[in-house]
Amino acid sequence: MTRALPLRFRRVADDTAIVADEAGRFFRSNMSFVSRLADGHLTPTDKAFLDSRGFLLGKEDQLNETSFLYALAQRLQPPKPLSYVILIPTLRCDLSCAYCQVSRAAQTAKGYDWSEETLQAVLQYLDEHGGESIQIEFQGGEPSLRLDLLERVVQFARARFSKPQFVVCTNLSSIDSAFADFMASEDVYISTSLDGPSWLHEVQRTQNSDRTSRFFSNLSKACDLAPGRVHALPTLDVNRLPEPNELLDAFDAFGLRSIYLRPVSYHGFARKHHPTSVGYDPRWSNFYSSVIHAMISRNTSNCGAAWEEFYLTHLIKRLLRPGENSHADIRSPNWLGYDHLVIDYDGVLYPTDEARMLARTGQVDLNLGNVQNGLDLGRRAQMQAAAFNALDPWCSRCPYQSACGRDPIDDLARHGHVNPPRPRTAFCQRHTHLFDLAASLIYSDCPDTQLSLSKWLELPVPTKLGEQHL
Amino acid sequence: MIPLMIKASFEDKSAPPFVARVGLESANNTAALSAELPDVHIYQYREQSFSVASDMGRSMNGDVIFANPATGTLHRWLRSGSSHNTLLVTERCDQLCQMCSQPPRKTHLDMFDHLKQACLLAEPCAQIGFSGGEPLLFKHQLFELLETVGEARPDLTFHILTNAQHFDTADVERLRLTVYSRVKWGIPLYSDQAAMHDQIVAKPGAFAQLMSSFALLAHSGQSIELRTVLLRENYSSLPELARMVSNRLPFISTWAIMQMERIGFARNRWADLFVDHSAQTAPLDEAVSIATSRSLDVALFNMPYCTVSPALRPYLHASISDWKNAFSSECKDCTAKSFCAGFFAWHATLADYERAGPIR
Repeated sequence: MTRALPLRFRRVADDTAIVADEAGRFFRSNMSFVSRLADGHLTPTDKAFLDSRGFLLGKEDQLNETSFLYALAQRLQPPKPLSYVILIPTLRCDLSCAYCQVSRAAQTAKGYDWSEETLQAVLQYLDEHGGESIQIEFQGGEPSLRLDLLERVVQFARARFSKPQFVVCTNLSSIDSAFADFMASEDVYISTSLDGPSWLHEVQRTQNSDRTSRFFSNLSKACDLAPGRVHALPTLDVNRLPEPNELLDAFDAFGLRSIYLRPVSYHGFARKHHPTSVGYDPRWSNFYSSVIHAMISRNTSNCGAAWEEFYLTHLIKRLLRPGENSHADIRSPNWLGYDHLVIDYDGVLYPTDEARMLARTGQVDLNLGNVQNGLDLGRRAQMQAAAFNALDPWCSRCPYQSACGRDPIDDLARHGHVNPPRPRTAFCQRHTHLFDLAASLIYSDCPDTQLSLSKWLELPVPTKLGEQHL
Repeated sequence: MIPLMIKASFEDKSAPPFVARVGLESANNTAALSAELPDVHIYQYREQSFSVASDMGRSMNGDVIFANPATGTLHRWLRSGSSHNTLLVTERCDQLCQMCSQPPRKTHLDMFDHLKQACLLAEPCAQIGFSGGEPLLFKHQLFELLETVGEARPDLTFHILTNAQHFDTADVERLRLTVYSRVKWGIPLYSDQAAMHDQIVAKPGAFAQLMSSFALLAHSGQSIELRTVLLRENYSSLPELARMVSNRLPFISTWAIMQMERIGFARNRWADLFVDHSAQTAPLDEAVSIATSRSLDVALFNMPYCTVSPALRPYLHASISDWKNAFSSECKDCTAKSFCAGFFAWHATLADYERAGPIR
């Protein structure tokens, strides 16, 4: 006797539902199909469709059981060795942005830099725990204030790892000749904040026109020094959003077309100044969607590099490709403290940068030990128990569950515990909107949208990607 | 086209066939060059001595050969430096594919001892292919060969071209032996529709058996290269096949889509079977896009560079068998020639393709 795999659905329009299995394999259908499924009255046509897409169980060949289990196993990826590390060589910074994502110290403060002993312990830790390759991100504070420490890490990593990559997260308020030399290396990437048009960047960050023009001329200089290796991301306040095309033009001026749109985050000092950012503001969804549509209309067959929103592209890949688990911000199980680690200015280890901020703001200390004495495995195991969404009573009804993820650190930051009712969390609201948007693009009949998808997924030609049973 | 069989004169024509490696210095299991005359090269293998034309002698240095004194032939079973060496297990087959490039025969000559010897003499880290006919008609002998050779030569990898009609659940445990992690199974699938696939391979029930075998191979962790030959019959539904492969066969390593070889049955049925993908690119373009969107690895074979859409060119592979490559006179000045699959030697012409021509 054949039967459908356990399926969950979400009604995305009057008579349209996204239906998926536990492995996140999905299709679009209508509500009468959902009723037939629920009532156990599937027609032969329904069954033929379910069989052809691998959703029908109980046949002699067991192939659908196998392909389902294979896809599920791809989602439940095992932990991998350390491959991405965020280093905080100094907490000092020469700016004090109103919603600083990271805690900071004044430029002249003492005791907020790695000591020689901490540096040595960091290098030894990377040597012992790193795999074959590594990406090292320098955060701060403003890491370029301690270029000497960066150079010693880089020198060590180039000798220890095969093809290491370095990312310097910098405010670009100054580029002296040593920093210019540093960013000229092919393995060095620059990540900076560009909040959009100069008026907005000035209001949010630089505060006066001198500093604003210095930043813009430094960004230009960085693009020349590190061609193709500069990335900029905007942090946006939902109360002060730019026009989508105004935002895109600001990035286009520097040849930057892959953008990661971030709302002000409820971490670090941002919490004091933006108390409302604990919840999710639906105005963000509208803004986000309109930026995506502005990008799609700019993506033509001869536009050159594609416009894309980095995170949306990743979510679309996660919907379509069960093995796409590369991004530590969105996965389940979310292996905290395994492949991705943060080492603070005092050598303390954290699973993520957000966890470091929670400790700094005194909310909850999620440290995982320190470089001197190693990982605290007991604390890591405790955290891990909350980093899996499949058994959550809300998530297990959602067709996006296996493409989505779990962030217990965000849960703690916003709700003070790890089990808030999911639909009330900003994480769930934001991601439900993102996945709904992703699904609407996947099922769009619009040739422009299909063209953009083909660029984001690097497909030879635009085509209809989603499965459907109508 | 590279010759795979070489004429030889043996001193003792009544001696039994043997397998040896061709070399410059005498050693165990080596047919060593003993004299180099202007026209012929003379080799010594144990008590036997044989000669071949000197240009052939030069080209076969380092090869593992099967020598048959009775017929005066050397078969270059494992050519030195080639990654396209394939050993024929049998000429029998239980399918009769419309376009079969190597039509089956009823007779079977058991060559397993010679095949095993050839594998043991293979160059370090060689990949050895097994083909037929249907090699798994002699499953137990083949498994035994793989396990014996696999143990003695942990450096070798294997590619086995099979219709996958002969696996059963009892094989699952055996296929979990480590030697099978060095095997890739090349398995043809021609359609997502059972009836169409069965008709193409001329065996009722073949599709159903194939689906069971895929499940079983996935359960034992086998590496599968799925193969689809383009035909007039299956071409327009290729995107549907791409959806089926993406959803039901996500565990395959590679999906090889290939143009037909004009040999065997296909030679006489060419006009009925051949589909010109250059005249109608949409089904191929779309199938590759669907498969890629689901992160399947797609490889296109036997398609001249100029005949596919520019967007598909990164998916082209030079050839599935190096010894079959050939070019047409029109290709003389083409800038893509060095990385083009060319044509099968049996039909060195661009005339089959509506949209083709040298790239300048």
